[in-house]
Amino acid sequence: MSLYRFNSSVLLLSGDGILSFLDGLSTNLVNGSCTAPFTNGNAKIIDVCDVLLVGERVVLVGYADHKDQLVQHLMSRILGRNISITDISHLNDVFVGIEPESVPDGATTHQSNMGWMMVLAKSHNHQPSWSQQQWDEHRVMNNIPFHGNEITPNVHPFSCGLEHLVHPDKGCYIGQEILTRMRSRGKTGKVMVRKLNPVENPTTVGKTHSLCIERIQ
Amino acid sequence: MDCGTCDSASPVMMVKPEEVDVNLTMTDKAIAMLEDAFGDDRSHALLVGVLSGGCSGYMYDLQIVESTEQSVQELEIGGFRVLVPSASSHLLDGIEIDYVDRLMGGGFKINNPNAESSCGCGESFS
Repeated sequence: MSLYRFNSSVLLLSGDGILSFLDGLSTNLVNGSCTAPFTNGNAKIIDVCDVLLVGERVVLVGYADHKDQLVQHLMSRILGRNISITDISHLNDVFVGIEPESVPDGATTHQSNMGWMMVLAKSHNHQPSWSQQQWDEHRVMNNIPFHGNEITPNVHPFSCGLEHLVHPDKGCYIGQEILTRMRSRGKTGKVMVRKLNPVENPTTVGKTHSLCIERIQ
Repeated sequence: MDCGTCDSASPVMMVKPEEVDVNLTMTDKAIAMLEDAFGDDRSHALLVGVLSGGCSGYMYDLQIVESTEQSVQELEIGGFRVLVPSASSHLLDGIEIDYVDRLMGGGFKINNPNAESSCGCGESFS
């Protein structure tokens, strides 16, 4: 089994029209389970969340360090809608990595941008099989951006390997004007690249290669 | 996954913005356009709301309605009933509703002193 437990936030959203609410705020089309970057008006990342459908409710799996900003971002836009947010981070562990042959009972699984994902109650006391170093090596060799390394509040989705999560024609969302202009003009600025070591200013260091964010235009 | 709805987890505290008494004005052009739209029928009202979304985070939402289930403030401007949802009052206080008569980009326009920025089409603001 090759799974890494990351410092995640897990939010449970319930109410009416949750997917359309999230779709209006995400760079990606949110009409079911997916990975959804949320950006501010400058198109900089607030958080990149995995959207999991659980019955009629939606679970957002993001990065713990970005949780407060994400919650503030979402709550200020609920306005009069019947949507509630419950923080269930303290009840669940989130693992990412390579899909194992067997999955613990009660796990919720998802195909994330980071790979296979499993959300499991902490009461299972499930232990990760990958260290951070092993996870980082896997990410470097597979060009997978990660929270706190490549995905930070200082970058927009094009800069950290998430250009495929910026939908080309989904309509308005926060930050859309900037991202659409960048794409249409072919000027997406810095991008995430993997280079042979040694690398100047790496975002993730691997054994032989590293990831970094560089301007290539 | 442990959804925790039955035991320890509780909803994140919703910090609702304080409701403010909305001051809203309409230009003569906007009133004239509403007179065209409503005719002599004053049983309906103009609902001026805000939706989340758009390029800048919030979008204006103008509707002609008979009534609404939302909690609203009811104003009378130029002989028309104007409804403003209480949940959006902090975003709409002080706005001016105008009507711009031109072939491209014409229609009702909202000038909002609370808006820090707005998108190119003018339909959303933050």
